[in-house]
Amino acid sequence: MIEFINVTKHYPGRRHVLRELNLHLDKGEMVLLTGPSGAGKSTLLKLLTRLEAVSHGTLRVAGVDLATLRRRHIPAYRRRVGVVFQDHKLLMDRNVYDNVALTLQVAGMSPRQLDNRVRAALDKVGLSEHWREFPATLSGGEQQRVGIARAIVHTPEILLADEPTGNLDPELSNDILDMFRDFYRHGTTVLVATHDQGQVERMRLRTLHLAHGQLQERA
Amino acid sequence: MSIHIRLQALRNARNTLLRQPIATLLTIIALAVVFALPVGLFTALSNIQQLLASWHDQAQISLYLHSDASPQAIAQLRTQLRQSPGVVAVRYVDKQQALTDFQRYAGMTAAIQTLGENPLPASLIVELNPLAQSPEQLEQQLQQWSHAAIVSSAQSDLKWVARLQAIVALGTRAVYILAILLALGAVLVMGNTIRLHIEQRRDEIEISSLVGATRSFIRRPFLYQGLIQGIFAGFLAWAIVAVAFAVLQGPVNHLASLYGTQFPLRALSPLEGFLLVLISAALGWLGSLLAVGRHLDNTVS
Repeated sequence: MIEFINVTKHYPGRRHVLRELNLHLDKGEMVLLTGPSGAGKSTLLKLLTRLEAVSHGTLRVAGVDLATLRRRHIPAYRRRVGVVFQDHKLLMDRNVYDNVALTLQVAGMSPRQLDNRVRAALDKVGLSEHWREFPATLSGGEQQRVGIARAIVHTPEILLADEPTGNLDPELSNDILDMFRDFYRHGTTVLVATHDQGQVERMRLRTLHLAHGQLQERA
Repeated sequence: MSIHIRLQALRNARNTLLRQPIATLLTIIALAVVFALPVGLFTALSNIQQLLASWHDQAQISLYLHSDASPQAIAQLRTQLRQSPGVVAVRYVDKQQALTDFQRYAGMTAAIQTLGENPLPASLIVELNPLAQSPEQLEQQLQQWSHAAIVSSAQSDLKWVARLQAIVALGTRAVYILAILLALGAVLVMGNTIRLHIEQRRDEIEISSLVGATRSFIRRPFLYQGLIQGIFAGFLAWAIVAVAFAVLQGPVNHLASLYGTQFPLRALSPLEGFLLVLISAALGWLGSLLAVGRHLDNTVS
């Protein structure tokens, strides 16, 4: 499902962030990506969302070669991926329902078609009662769950999460990561970047450690 | 493309405009003033041209006829002249009428009486619309008429027509230049407004892009904003021109009455008004398109 072959990423005038990286994730697999701040976890996720382009090497996701993907095909690719951000990236002037519906609206779905899906996604993250509320009135954990609902509402093939529990207390973090585990059990490929070692040990999943631009597999 | 996507973009554009009513209103007023200026000048120019066209008694050509010209030949030439382009009226002045006019205006009765007979020829007076043809075409026409068998000579003041046409051409050119500059100004005003909207909605654009929105999906609400503001500005500009002409009608009536005439000002016709709205909407859309194209490159990853 996700394949990095000798992927290098560097920025002009800066050191290599990722160096000759090789990685293979199967369909329906869940992997944790760990590493210290600045190790390149976010850059790796940016490559997967095609926010950044690889400098060298081959990056294939769900059969799409991201290194040669044309600009006009990026939106269609992104609609196959769900992304959860540490800072949630919610639209503060839209209510919970509209924030989640955005993913389906950009895909061209009509209000009638998307209604069931939005309600189902909100139900899945336990926010069906809060659909009219605005993000500012929600707690950090609830905001993160809105972000997750938005990421899964279109049943993506791949779910990427960049430090999704970064600002949450341990109990809420457990809830969120258990939610991800639930998605992967239903066949979604999940890659979660985290620096929370306690969560990594608790989850007992395949873990990749990123340091100095290189990946190491950890048991 | 599904209609609900366009409707959603339209709602999005409407909501953005309504969220900032003062800013939206100011933009519409600024655009309306920019559109009203050249449109008002064009309409004023059209009124002036209409006025000048009515001065056909001032643009005359006199064709003096041979004394032996038969009434049939005169009638035939008169018909030909009437059918020529730019000719408003053709008047026949016989020898006796010419003498009477000469005596009335020149006051040389005694001198003519010493000649014993009337030396003045009959003539055809051709009244022209001074703006219907170029001075070159008029000159050509005059040459053609003066070579008619029964015409002995021709007299005209085509220099006056040439001067008048040069002034009108200068005015028209000046209005065109002003219109182009102001249209450019309208595009820039709209472009700057949309640029500010893009800055305000940077987060929304970024998030929409991250969840797979195409550039056209992101761009559409901004284009509709330009279009909506352009349409309203067009209608407002139409109203401004109509009010301005209504206000000017009183003084123009007074001035015309001092010259013993009437001159009803012609404001924009419904067709011209809708054309103004259409052009205004197109310029609003164009301004948005240019701004969005340029600024989305910096916003959308």
